[in-house]
Amino acid sequence: MNLRKIAIAAIATSLVLGSPAVAGNKLIASGQRVKVAKSTMTVQPNVEWNKMGARPGRNSETWTLDGDGLNDLTFYGGIESGRPLFREVDKKNTPLPKVSSTMLLTDIPALLENSYRVALQTSAVQIDAVQPVQFAGTNGVRFTYSFSHQNETLRRRGEARAAMIGGKLYMVTYEAPALYYYDRSYEAFRAAAESVKL
Amino acid sequence: MTVAWRALLAALFLVCFIGAPAQAQEKTGNKPGFTLVPGTARIVLMRPSIRAGAQSTGGMFEPNADWTQQARENIAQALTRVQSRLGNVVTDYVEPVGLDPAQLAEYQELFSTVAGSVIEYQFFKGNRLPTKKRKGQFEWSLGPNVGKLPGLENADYALFITTEDHFGSTGRKILQIFAAIARVSVKSGEHKGYAGLVDLKTGELVWLNADLQMGGDVRDADGAEKRVSQLLEGFPGRPAAPTTTASR
Amino acid sequence: MASGKLAPFALTLSAVLATAPAAAQKAPPLPTYTPAYSPTGVDERGLWMESDEAERRLRDSRSVIKDPALTGFVRDVLCRTVGQDRCASVRIYVQRIPAFNATMYPNGAMTVWSGLLLRVRSEAELGAVLGHEFGHFELRHGVKGFKNARTGTDIMAWAGILAPYSPSYQFGAIGQIFAFNRAQEREADLQGLRYLGASDYPSAEAATVWTRLMAEADASALGRKRKASHNYAAGFFASHPTEIARAAYLRKAAQEIGDVEPYPNDRYRQALANWLPEFLSDQIKLNDFGGSEYLLNELAVDGWTTPLLFARGELYRERGHPRDLVSAAQFYQQAIDQGGAAPEAWRGLGLALLRSQQPAPGRAALREYLRNRPEAPDAAILSTLIAE
Repeated sequence: MNLRKIAIAAIATSLVLGSPAVAGNKLIASGQRVKVAKSTMTVQPNVEWNKMGARPGRNSETWTLDGDGLNDLTFYGGIESGRPLFREVDKKNTPLPKVSSTMLLTDIPALLENSYRVALQTSAVQIDAVQPVQFAGTNGVRFTYSFSHQNETLRRRGEARAAMIGGKLYMVTYEAPALYYYDRSYEAFRAAAESVKL
Repeated sequence: MTVAWRALLAALFLVCFIGAPAQAQEKTGNKPGFTLVPGTARIVLMRPSIRAGAQSTGGMFEPNADWTQQARENIAQALTRVQSRLGNVVTDYVEPVGLDPAQLAEYQELFSTVAGSVIEYQFFKGNRLPTKKRKGQFEWSLGPNVGKLPGLENADYALFITTEDHFGSTGRKILQIFAAIARVSVKSGEHKGYAGLVDLKTGELVWLNADLQMGGDVRDADGAEKRVSQLLEGFPGRPAAPTTTASR
Repeated sequence: MASGKLAPFALTLSAVLATAPAAAQKAPPLPTYTPAYSPTGVDERGLWMESDEAERRLRDSRSVIKDPALTGFVRDVLCRTVGQDRCASVRIYVQRIPAFNATMYPNGAMTVWSGLLLRVRSEAELGAVLGHEFGHFELRHGVKGFKNARTGTDIMAWAGILAPYSPSYQFGAIGQIFAFNRAQEREADLQGLRYLGASDYPSAEAATVWTRLMAEADASALGRKRKASHNYAAGFFASHPTEIARAAYLRKAAQEIGDVEPYPNDRYRQALANWLPEFLSDQIKLNDFGGSEYLLNELAVDGWTTPLLFARGELYRERGHPRDLVSAAQFYQQAIDQGGAAPEAWRGLGLALLRSQQPAPGRAALREYLRNRPEAPDAAILSTLIAE
């Protein structure tokens, strides 16, 4: 009887406290090549990062230095045609735009912009410069953007580098508040993005 | 059914109302090696974020204008007393004419975001980042331009304070008693706060103190003094209080 | 407390005209309004304080459109609807949010979203919606709703302890919260209609926006290959009465008042002209092909203007099926031929042609774009597409 009571108490406690549904945050060492985003994409960072346990979607992962509200480096490893960039919150009423295997490089910034507009429920997303760049060993696109969350005055800036390879989208995005944080870790992002190999 | 089974099922029903209790509740971080000699610093207090209200039986926050106003006044007075004991002068931030309110709001939001990051990713167990878990480490900043914000020209440090009080209503307390009989834990009242000090020359956060279960009733002068003392725990230069660095 | 999702009104004037009497009988005048109302009671003062803080943040928010002409026009319509006495206690914030909504804070701050301005057709329709929101304020729904929600959650908490195996108490309490909200929304609808009745605007137009919102929702669902459905009775968790119900009771109440003459010198189109391309762009980027196509067709009832053709091109190009790209190219070309198109029409044409396996005309169009917009932010990437 006592054992039963203890067991019940243990179950009740764990139900109330909850157990983590995601894996914990892990250390990414500097200078070592690692696989990311559950794909064949590999990256060799030049500083140490933290890999977050929570993923934006199935083939993506996020790294951070100080917390994802302050710097967010996200890798998308081969998003297939017909899939959205990240997990949809309400597929029925606010579906996200989908990757298309016939996308032009100029369609990639529009995909990100519209995905953010729908997901963040805001019009305050703007694509700035769009340029060609070598990414993952092939012709890709590099673009900068800015956005804010719905009730925030904090402006955020981002840069993304992407390419369509084998009909799938591969992309790296770096986002941080415009105040101080974006410039502070920009070089770390650039080194990581330029090291991307498939 | 045994009482134990009823307790388990009642816990299931109430999980959505109570939420998971915090495991640790208060923590201080200091920039390693930083000290503040009392009486040498000009500190500006940015407009504190103060909310005080009641917590209904069902856990809803009931804002209360009088309590918030009292809290604001009491905390302001308590701050001057506590700081003057350390020999530091704290002046309120005055928004200069022509200041872009969005610029000020942006910096206040940046501070909240940084403080939130410290609390989530360094201070308390659950979601900590590996690079922030190391002994004696406390590296956080608002960037070197924060000192250039209009109105901060004659200041060395900026003090940010946030407190939020949900005072458990009578109904909530009665619920708590009945819940205990059913062996279910119901928390009455929520008192959270954090305070941080920013070096305006470099933008670095030299101290942050967070407490998810604060004491002191902010609606009266003595309680506010207790609250301010707790908020300022580990304040650099404070004699005798043991400072806990981010090593736990 | 913020409240109020407003549904769009659709024009069903013809049904009302058939039964309306020749001479317009206006509704009885509204009771006197005492401005400078101060909140009383602990809850109301608390909510006003929170609203004051929220309004502070709103004032500094980047989503607020700071165009005095647009805000002045919206304020003008509000004042014509509810009267000068009442509108003096309101501060209006127009927010750039591409959804149909307006909110009213208990302290008199009103926000109007750009998605709403895109969907109403006339001053009277806008007045009906603003009057609904003001109704919430005058009837002090914020604090009443808050008290009701508190009682409801209190009941739920007790039921959880005392009767953990009887979900019906909790269910009942939740249901009661939502039913109260629906009653408040209905009250605000009818209050808004009362304002319209006492104003120069025809109260017949109060019902029309709802019918159009329903049609838009249908189009949106069909575009997403889902079934369109409309119920008269609101669901258990619905915070508002359904659009059908609202159109019905508003139409009935308007018939009783009997004023149907449209408002002369309606300035709605001119007031919105500068912002229309921006709001359309926001709408198209929402990934709602069906709903956006419906809106464009409604706006084009008097003819496809150049901005509308351009927007349609963008919409079809965004969905991007092979046939869409061909249609998009046609729309862009029509916009260009009609004259007055922005250089971006050449950009859209070029990209649509490139994806439709017509590289040569596509590159030519992009070259034309860059000729007209050498400082384009994507000039660098477009140059590589032209060079290939």
